[in-house]
Amino acid sequence: MPVDTTSRDTAVVTFRPRPSRGGAWLVAVAVGIVVLMVAPLLPVAGEIPLPILLVNVGIGLLFAIPLLVLAAWIPTMRYELDDEALTLRYGPILRYRIPLDEIQEMRRKNLKISLWSSMRFPGLALFTVPYADEGRVKMCATAAADRILLIDTRRGTYGVTPADEEAFVAAVRARIGA
Amino acid sequence: MPGIYIMAVITVSISAAAYTGLLRIVTPHWRRYLWLALPALPLSAIVNRLIKQPIGEGVAAWAGVSTDQLGTAPLWFLLFLLLLSPLTEEAIKIVPLLLPRARAWLGSRDGALWTGFALGVGFGIGEAAFIAYGIAQSPDYAGMPWYLFTGYLNERFIVCFGHGVMTAVLVTGLTQGRPLRGYVGAVLLHTAANAGALAYQAGWVPVEVATLSLTVVVLLLAVIFERLRRQALRETSPAARDAEEVVLFRRNRTDGGP
Repeated sequence: MPVDTTSRDTAVVTFRPRPSRGGAWLVAVAVGIVVLMVAPLLPVAGEIPLPILLVNVGIGLLFAIPLLVLAAWIPTMRYELDDEALTLRYGPILRYRIPLDEIQEMRRKNLKISLWSSMRFPGLALFTVPYADEGRVKMCATAAADRILLIDTRRGTYGVTPADEEAFVAAVRARIGA
Repeated sequence: MPGIYIMAVITVSISAAAYTGLLRIVTPHWRRYLWLALPALPLSAIVNRLIKQPIGEGVAAWAGVSTDQLGTAPLWFLLFLLLLSPLTEEAIKIVPLLLPRARAWLGSRDGALWTGFALGVGFGIGEAAFIAYGIAQSPDYAGMPWYLFTGYLNERFIVCFGHGVMTAVLVTGLTQGRPLRGYVGAVLLHTAANAGALAYQAGWVPVEVATLSLTVVVLLLAVIFERLRRQALRETSPAARDAEEVVLFRRNRTDGGP
């Protein structure tokens, strides 16, 4: 198992997701929103009422700040494997715990993206994302569609993108005893 | 240089990049469809200058109606104007299909969907440039700075998607042996998208209602787009789908569980 993608303590093996440009996309979208909301007002900032200026800036920041916070949490994405469960984490806002005895199948697939997405950007997919071919998948991944490792359980399907997929699958299989 | 040209460059660049990105995400064969946008680029200017404008002006002159004062125009003329763009534009958007190479992927729903979408988006991008040219000719707008045309950017970006979906409906109908149904469907969607703007120009509704109606139509187009995609996906053979999937681990029934 490659050392650079995992760290061990006594019982938990931690896997990191593969790198992506998801953070750059989030920052770019956040900056784009602020620019589109604020830039047109700058040349006439002295002529329009302050409340209108503040409302525009506020609306821009309302959308931009959450995106920047999400980008800041990308380094915290990880997959923790212990003797009982696989836990997918992303900052303090996402935690999926998958009991090992519920895992039925693991498969790699390029997913077909649906327009009806929740938290999905190029290079980042979080929470429940509807896909055109797989239906609803609980995502904690640094890719929206390409080479997603799907974990089928009795309660649903999860999507992850471990940096070292081979080691990840081997570790899960070893813990399951399959 | 009129400010609208700067915003037009931004709009065309963003639209081209975004819809290329969308194609890349939704179909692995995106490269085969991308070039279809190129022959569609000049079609908006062609249909507007050579077909819509002469017909519109001819009918207006014949009826003695001033197109600058639509609020006083008779209802039949407004209906005529409402249908003129959809009827002519939806027809010309598929003219590139006369090229044999453009028909190469029409054998499947998937190919028809993305061929139509690429043609429509190309038409929309060309239309954005043509409209910018029209705005630049207006003394009221020619001197305005570029950053005041964000409404143009938003509208044209969305309209590109709308044209893509409408043309996808038409091309899908053509390839399914139901050309009239495809054409009427595309024309009706186009008419619905334009109705709010025309009602606003006629002074019937405030701009907010026109904007809201366009939003509703765009949402409807998104629903239709997704439905076309799902139909195309269902048509994809199970063997092709299986080839894209690698099973890394499958639990035996005796490994655990109920």
